[in-house]
Amino acid sequence: MRTRFDKELDHLHEAMEEIGQLCKESISESTDTLFTGNYHEAEDTINLHHRIHKAERDIEETCLRLLMEQQPVATDLRIISASLKAVYDLERIGEIGADIADLVLNEHLTVANDMLNLKSMSQIATGMVNDAVTALANQNVELAKAVIDRDDQVDEGFDKAKAFLINNFNKDGNPEYLINLMMVAKYFEKIGDHAVNIAKWSLFVTTGKTGR
Amino acid sequence: MSRAKRKDRLMTGIFYAIGWIMLAFLLYLTLTIIFDGLKGFQWDFLGAAGNGIFDQFFNTIYLVFLSLLVSVPIGIGAGVYLAEYAKEGKFLTIFEISIESLSSLPSIVIGLFGYLVFIMWTGMSWNILAGALTISILSIPLITTETNNAIRALPVEYKEGSLGLGATKSETIRKVLIPAAMPQILTGVIMAAGRGFGEAAALLYTSGQSTYINWQNFWKVTSPTSPLNPFRSGETLSLHIWVMRTEGALNPSATQIANFTSAVLVVLALLFTLVTRRISDRMRKRNNGGN
Amino acid sequence: MMEDKITIEKLNLYYGDFHALHDINMHIQKNEITAFIGPSGCGKSTLLRSLNRMNDLVEGCRIDGSIKLDGTDIYNGDLDVTVLRQRVGMVFQRPNPFPMSVYDNVAYGPRIHGITDKKELDEIVETSLKQAAIWDDLKDRLKKSALGLSGGQQQRLCIARALAVKPEVLLMDEPTSALDPISTSKIEELALELKKNYTIVIVTHNMQQAVRISDKTGFFLLGDLVEFGETDQLFSMPKDERTEKYITGRFG
Repeated sequence: MRTRFDKELDHLHEAMEEIGQLCKESISESTDTLFTGNYHEAEDTINLHHRIHKAERDIEETCLRLLMEQQPVATDLRIISASLKAVYDLERIGEIGADIADLVLNEHLTVANDMLNLKSMSQIATGMVNDAVTALANQNVELAKAVIDRDDQVDEGFDKAKAFLINNFNKDGNPEYLINLMMVAKYFEKIGDHAVNIAKWSLFVTTGKTGR
Repeated sequence: MSRAKRKDRLMTGIFYAIGWIMLAFLLYLTLTIIFDGLKGFQWDFLGAAGNGIFDQFFNTIYLVFLSLLVSVPIGIGAGVYLAEYAKEGKFLTIFEISIESLSSLPSIVIGLFGYLVFIMWTGMSWNILAGALTISILSIPLITTETNNAIRALPVEYKEGSLGLGATKSETIRKVLIPAAMPQILTGVIMAAGRGFGEAAALLYTSGQSTYINWQNFWKVTSPTSPLNPFRSGETLSLHIWVMRTEGALNPSATQIANFTSAVLVVLALLFTLVTRRISDRMRKRNNGGN
Repeated sequence: MMEDKITIEKLNLYYGDFHALHDINMHIQKNEITAFIGPSGCGKSTLLRSLNRMNDLVEGCRIDGSIKLDGTDIYNGDLDVTVLRQRVGMVFQRPNPFPMSVYDNVAYGPRIHGITDKKELDEIVETSLKQAAIWDDLKDRLKKSALGLSGGQQQRLCIARALAVKPEVLLMDEPTSALDPISTSKIEELALELKKNYTIVIVTHNMQQAVRISDKTGFFLLGDLVEFGETDQLFSMPKDERTEKYITGRFG
């Protein structure tokens, strides 16, 4: 019996849950600071990214080592390769959280007048990340499919925001503010994409299909 | 030095000592026989008549040759049968045990059996063929056992490999198994020939104690005095030794003749063994390769 | 659809009272490598050996159901067993060259099947050794004993010997289990090369080997064919839980 290998797989599972948790925190804190302008939280988010980055490295190493040592097949192979792929998307999410925090800290951006409906986009994106992380941890097929379906909503939010900006660019006196808002909208759209990827890797674990 | 190590050294020493003692004893025996044989040597010992032992020398070789002619094919055939065709079970085990004990029967018993069958029943007088056949009774089991063991010891993969290529069982036996087992089968042949060289008791009443041959008639096989006629009586070297030490005691040189005959017999047996061993080693080498 | 080279239908095999294979159905396709995996005693070697009737050597072995080679039943007497074994060659677990020269080893099969012409034999020996990718190693030592070769060379010689009788199917019974990694990969490459012209069935304990070289894999357990399908599929997403447990090393 492969007790040692099973233990390592348990550790991997825990590490994936942990990095998922960190990403969830990063996204919720960074969107929070965006509307409250809380600098402390913003700094927290940037520190979070360092931890996420480190966790990604560790997981990558573990996965590569297990691939080499155990030459896994079947479920083991799917879990390890899905972890290896999903951890990349998780790290990107952490990075985006840090980028948003950076806008708050250095550009002093706070969303006072939410004309781009960023609030609702952030809620959808945060929800997607939460569900994708849960789906991956518990191999919940329904939840993963729901995440993939919700991507259209974020995309739609981004398109609307873009259309709004095109029509209103000259009316408001602060183009820099508008551009920053646009960037935030793009960030949320990207977060949605990464959440979708994570959801797809969670589906791969259960179905063996790589999506498309 | 630890206890275990000391004990190991001690045991190794003892085994070496036993080995050397045996070797020394053998060497002593051989050298004594040869030395004693040469001590009383007279030139007429080499002749064919009178005190000469050339006839006996020829008889020995001829008898061993005849007995091998009979025992090798039968022995190998029986060995192959036991190894490849006989069904495993009680019968086979009993058969194998019988064959093995046959080769350890007292040779005088075999000799009398040979006398009964080949002389009494056939109504012939003592002859070389009867002697050869009697020796075969002793040597067939040796060759059979050796062949049986040799073929059984071959990796089963040889057989499977051959059958797997579409060969029949008999092709497999003839073309793969017997050639592969040949070096070991030859060991059986050496032992069988040894019986022929050394045996006296079994030949006493079968091949007889006298030789009347005329070398002029060598190729006239049907002539009763032709050396090649297998139906003439013929005394072998070992029998000659026995005769010289008993009835031949009238001859003043009897002791010397017996000693010289012993030396010749030992050298002959030694030579035969060496040559056959060489052939067997060659075969083994050819089979097993090296690079 | 590709065509069946060997069709196994409702095959049951008994050794005396022991029921060794249960209702095996399997389609082995032409120019593919089919791997049999499973724990020791699962019946994979037994099935392999029934494909060229090597099980006939085992006393008390009985079979029902059918095995067809190109549609001809190999057990009901339509096909002579020596012809069958010439068409379905075999390579064994331990390299088993005969104790004779390299040349005689390869020429053994053709000679058995009646080829005596020296020139023709020379040609067969050369092409067979070339096909087994060992001609360059051995061309200068054809007259030397085959037992002097290294294990890997011996095994490739045995493959050449099997090829010399021009078989259509090559059965390999754990052909690399006695070999070092380099020789193993040479045999694997050779198998991949040979499948262009032959149908190959291989029993292996090395699952990575099955993954590397086979097109289809069958997983056997206690005499049952538990799962049979595309190798990639079977090793990434097995359908049966027993397959999953076995290939991930969680039992057996």
